[in-house]
Amino acid sequence: MNVKIKKELAFRRIAGEVFIVDAAKAEMHELNSTAALIWEGLAAGETEKVIVSALISEFEIEEKTARADFADFVEELEKAGLLASV
Amino acid sequence: MAGWTALRRPLKKAPASFLSRIGLEIAGFGLNFESDQSGIISVLRRRYGKFRAAGKPGFSLEVSGAPGSQSPFKPAIVLTGSRLEIGRGDFNSSLDLDTGSGSLRAAANEQCLDAFLRSLISFLLLRSGGFMLHSAGLVKNGKAYLFLGKSGAGKSTLSKLAAAAGAEVISDEINLLRFEKGRFRAYGSPFWGEMRADGRPGSWPLGGIHLLGKARENSLSACPGGEALKLLLRCLVNFDKSPRAAELALKNSARLLAAVKFGRLKFSKADGSFMGLVK
Repeated sequence: MNVKIKKELAFRRIAGEVFIVDAAKAEMHELNSTAALIWEGLAAGETEKVIVSALISEFEIEEKTARADFADFVEELEKAGLLASV
Repeated sequence: MAGWTALRRPLKKAPASFLSRIGLEIAGFGLNFESDQSGIISVLRRRYGKFRAAGKPGFSLEVSGAPGSQSPFKPAIVLTGSRLEIGRGDFNSSLDLDTGSGSLRAAANEQCLDAFLRSLISFLLLRSGGFMLHSAGLVKNGKAYLFLGKSGAGKSTLSKLAAAAGAEVISDEINLLRFEKGRFRAYGSPFWGEMRADGRPGSWPLGGIHLLGKARENSLSACPGGEALKLLLRCLVNFDKSPRAAELALKNSARLLAAVKFGRLKFSKADGSFMGLVK
C-alpha cells in the first residue's frame, strides 16, 4: 500500500502524544500510541512493511493484528482528508 | 508696501502638515499610522490612546479610508515572500515585513480597525514565538496569569470578580504572549470583551496558565499536558491558514507547555476568593 500524508499538515509529539494540525481547515487531531507510531512512520517515508514490523515489536502483537491496525488507521486518515493522493 | 514687508519676514514656524499621524506600541510592536484623512487617525487615537508611543520603530502604514461591509467577516492572511496581505470586507492591508512599510485601506470605525490590528498582531506574535489567546489575564504578585476559555467559560465573570477584589486585569478577552530571553511575558492588551476597558501598556513575566471552569466551589487541580495543549490550540487567535502557521502553533505550544505551569481552575461566582488559589 502506497500511502503519503498531506505535506500541508503540521504535527508534533507534545507531552507524549502526537497532535496534527490542519491550519487550512482549522482542525486538530490527537493520536493514540498505535496511531502515533504509524503516523510518524508514514511521515518519515517508511513502507507499510517497516511500520507493521515496528507495531509488532512495540506492542507485542501478531502480524495479522498489526496489518489490520495499519489498514484501519490508513482508512481513517483517508476519511479525515489527511492523505495526499498518490 | 507694508504688506510686502510682512511677506518678506521669515517664517518662524514650519508650515502645518496636512498629514495626521499616530504611533502605537502593542505587545512590543511599533505601529505608525499616517493619513491625509484625519477621521481614521482620530478613531485610532480614541480607541488605542493608552498605547500611544510616538516614533517607536516598527511598521509604518499609509492609511486611507475605504467604505466597505464586514463581509467576508473573517480576515484572510496571505504571505508571499516578505509581502503580507491582510484583508476582509472592510479593510485591506499590504505590508512589507522586511522594510516595515505598507498601506492600509480601511473603514473609519473601531470594529474595522480592531479586526485589522487583531489580525496583524496575532500574525506577528505567532512568528515571534508567542501567542494571541482567547483568555482572561490577571496580575498577581507582579506576575501574569492567563485563564483559557472559549465563549461562556467565564473569562469576563472571573475578570470582574478579580477586579472587584483589587487585582489588575490585563484583559478579559484577548491576551498577548511573547517569548523573550528564554521566557514568556504577557503584554498589556487593548483587546477586551464585556468589560470594555482600554487596557494599559506594560508587560509581566508569565506565572502560569489555567484552564477555566465555573463551579460551586473554588478548586485548583493538575492538568495533563495533552488536555492543556488541546485547549491552548482552541483558544489561539489565528487567521493565518498556512502550514507554516500550524507548524508555529505547535512549536510555540510545545515550548509554552514545557516552560509554564498549567492547572485547571474551577471558580465560584460568589466572590474573588479564587485569587488565593492562583499560582
